[in-house]
Amino acid sequence: MTANAPGQVCLMQGNEAIVRGAVEAGIHFAASYPGSPSSQVLGMLGKIARERSFYAEWSTNEVCALQACCGASLANGRALCVVKQNGLLCMADALHCAAQHGVKGGLVIVSSDDPSAHSSTNEFDSRWQAMSAGIPLLEPTTMQETKDMIPYAFELSEKTGQIVLVRVTTRVCHGRGNVILAPLPERPRPLERVREWDRMVCVCYMHAPALEKLESLRRDFETSPYNHYAGPEKPKKLIIAGGTGCLYGQEALRRLGGGEDVGFLALGTLWPLPEDYLLNYMRPAEEVLILEEVDPFLERAVEALAGRERLSLRFLGRSDGALPQIGELDPDNVAAAVAKLTGVALPENRPASTLELPVREMSFCAGCPHRATFYLLKRAMRQEKHPGVVVGDIGCYFMAGQSAGQYAYQVCNCMGSGVNVAEGLGQLTNYGLDQKVVTMCGDSTFFHTILPGLVNATYHHANMLLIVLDNSATAMTGFQPHPGTGLTAMGEHVKAMDIPKILDAVGCKVEVADPFDVVEAEKILRRLLDQPGMNVLIMRQPCATLKAKERSKKPVRVYVDQDVCLGDGCGCDRFCSRVWGCPGNTWDFQKNKAQIDPVACVGCGVCAKLCPSGAIKVEGGEEA
Amino acid sequence: MLSTIALDTQVLRPGLCTGCGACQGLCPYWGSVDGRTVCFFDCERRDGRCQRFCPRMPTDLDALRRQFFPADSILPEIGPFRGLYLTRAADPGIRAKAQHGGSMTALVELALAEGFLDAAVLTRSQGGLNPEGVLATTPEEVRVCSGSSFQIPPTLAVLNQALQENRYHSIGVVGTPCKTLAVYKMRANPLPDNDNHAGNIGMVFGLFCGWGLDWVGLKALAAMHADPEAVCHIDIPPSKYHSMELQQGDETISVNLDNVTPLVRSGCHYCADMTAEFADLSIGGARSADDWEIDKGWNQVIVRSEKGEQLLDLAQEKGVLEFKDVPETGLEKLKGASLGKKRTALKNLRQLTGSIQDLGYLTPSKDLFQNM
Repeated sequence: MTANAPGQVCLMQGNEAIVRGAVEAGIHFAASYPGSPSSQVLGMLGKIARERSFYAEWSTNEVCALQACCGASLANGRALCVVKQNGLLCMADALHCAAQHGVKGGLVIVSSDDPSAHSSTNEFDSRWQAMSAGIPLLEPTTMQETKDMIPYAFELSEKTGQIVLVRVTTRVCHGRGNVILAPLPERPRPLERVREWDRMVCVCYMHAPALEKLESLRRDFETSPYNHYAGPEKPKKLIIAGGTGCLYGQEALRRLGGGEDVGFLALGTLWPLPEDYLLNYMRPAEEVLILEEVDPFLERAVEALAGRERLSLRFLGRSDGALPQIGELDPDNVAAAVAKLTGVALPENRPASTLELPVREMSFCAGCPHRATFYLLKRAMRQEKHPGVVVGDIGCYFMAGQSAGQYAYQVCNCMGSGVNVAEGLGQLTNYGLDQKVVTMCGDSTFFHTILPGLVNATYHHANMLLIVLDNSATAMTGFQPHPGTGLTAMGEHVKAMDIPKILDAVGCKVEVADPFDVVEAEKILRRLLDQPGMNVLIMRQPCATLKAKERSKKPVRVYVDQDVCLGDGCGCDRFCSRVWGCPGNTWDFQKNKAQIDPVACVGCGVCAKLCPSGAIKVEGGEEA
Repeated sequence: MLSTIALDTQVLRPGLCTGCGACQGLCPYWGSVDGRTVCFFDCERRDGRCQRFCPRMPTDLDALRRQFFPADSILPEIGPFRGLYLTRAADPGIRAKAQHGGSMTALVELALAEGFLDAAVLTRSQGGLNPEGVLATTPEEVRVCSGSSFQIPPTLAVLNQALQENRYHSIGVVGTPCKTLAVYKMRANPLPDNDNHAGNIGMVFGLFCGWGLDWVGLKALAAMHADPEAVCHIDIPPSKYHSMELQQGDETISVNLDNVTPLVRSGCHYCADMTAEFADLSIGGARSADDWEIDKGWNQVIVRSEKGEQLLDLAQEKGVLEFKDVPETGLEKLKGASLGKKRTALKNLRQLTGSIQDLGYLTPSKDLFQNM
């Protein structure tokens, strides 16, 4: 990542290519909040930050990250902000303001979209934010382009004094490809003292200059090296593709054949549109297929352009049904769309296997403390005369909405929303809503966006319970440090923020419980549910994966005494594997009894406490 | 239908549940909070002890009765009958704490002392609020449970656990009619692959019962008139007094019955059994037609089985119980009251089902209720 070996070819993951690009651009500053698929970027930057003389941090949230980058930019530093789709939306206000006040040192935002939501709760299209904020937008296709576009984006940013958005998608972040390295600057250029009359202030009259910046970029994009065209000079049929759509489209053309008369335009500069460049190929065309991830962003923009130029074109893409309206592109759906354009018959799609994979829900890991918490929460809720309402939030515990968490919650908005949604319900308990209101957040989410809501709910005396699932980690995205961990992205040990102290200072009632101590934790949970006002229960037990990493000794052995196990008989009905549902609790189909998968089991021993017939035994070793 | 869903849709939601606890103490799926039966998680078995034991799941009561009692001993109004007695505990210590005459406490103590039983499942009234099921193995532990409660705790959960443990082999059970019916359903071994050691049930003592009260409602009502923690006894005098009496220290606080009747458990409106017809012995308060004071502090005892008769005879022989003559009209009065409860139950069940023919959980018991 830091080798100064110009011309060397390296196999790189997309996220690594972003890191290399940033180093080649000589950044001064990098900030991010973890979010798949680009979580690894800042982790890697943190590791090499000292060596390359820049600063890197895991910010408490994306707003902090972007605004910190603005600060760095004011001192003429080059700042990289890395977020996922939701993070970009989270900082929308900051982004729009920054777009109006502009930047001094280059400021590049890499936003990673997760089409089909492989490791997200939803799919969004980041590109609209570029159009909305009025900032330039780039989208790479290959790993080489991904690396090269970062320094290019910094140059554009400084040339125009505007933020540049680079949009990547899961397949780009996680795909691998060859990258030819460029030289590294010896060290980042010197910073500049902020002068008395320097200004980066968002006021209305900055809107017009911001639009002018965009217009000046359009001219640059007409000749950008990141837009490529291949095919006849005057194509009747045209494909316009961005991001992964380019590769899938090229592959489909090669596979299906019959694409000799098709023009293929791979667009790397998506906003503002290089209109003349596009019109050059659109004017002779009759049909245009647009290949892009998530929303018909290009499609709408190109349609508008065609309308303005009074071109009579037939458009194929996300809107007309040639491609599915939702979900990510793949070689098959792109091939089908290309076949529709070219009129070539689609070859029969023979499945590799007739065997269907078993349907598996996402679940908490074996030994995950959240499983115990949601088990107890369900029990507590069922004990209420009118079962309460549970408000979800974003983190691993989002999975609590499925069987892993006993279908815990009825509502879940975005990250940090739980406490606010619950506050609304909690206020209505004074107006005839006779239900208990519970919400939850992880320790990372607590710092990310819960704090203002916590203050709001406590200040306004909402009747509710907030469960802080304190597992000492940002587990979902890969254990990035957060203010509660006492660690920074650059490996520095600092004073950890004390969540109970913060809660105490805010003025809510706080108790701490260990979810693995099921009897005691349930008592505390029920007691807090009965108390009016803002209550907080900290369920403290480190993440099972974290513990497995840190454990030196052998874990305890947990096993099932199958002579005692009731199996699916009355009195049990496979309680451990069916209801408790830990991946470590499996079913012996030969003997119709429970068993423990010794590979999955981490030895938390909670199932032994819950087994109705005492058939699960815990033996020796280090207790998890 | 899945077991938990069967009970939920056929018993809990229609408001038939009595809170007896027959479905509890068996598995991780059922429990109880403040007298409310709670399903924690769904069980996916198609059949189970919970629905087989539940006194409000449809059962042929005729067949169940024929299984345990000779046909010629059965009176249509009050069930199996071998004699009616008026008794009270000879020990004034028992009577002082008892609801009426303390006969139940005296008999269960005797049954344990004489080896009729090696343990007994009882309800500890705790002054009448927050009662709980208890497994007693000594006369002293029985004595603590003296006095009754108008809240119905899930006592049978304790029985189920005791049976499962298989440590005691002749367990006595004291309970309201819903509970004793459930115990006889247990004794009939309804689920062949899991008998729950029902053979360990020794004797069944029924309590006369008009209705039980909603747990939370009674607590709230008591709190309006007294300190719920300090209430040591609750009683309802004969109907002409139209009141419920809360005893707090030396003070008796009278609560208008109009405030109490709305708190009657929904499930009790559908109960057709006043005298606990499934039992070896059934015991209730004695109420003379002439005056409340005449029989105050005495019990009526219905002997229903040979074993019950043996125990009562022994109590007489040992001087554990005092006896007095049953007035001539006593049996008829009891029959009339019992019949009254049956009629009300049938009326309410017909209203619930919306059909004259459909008596809900009593429908399979054709002989018993066809002419009512």
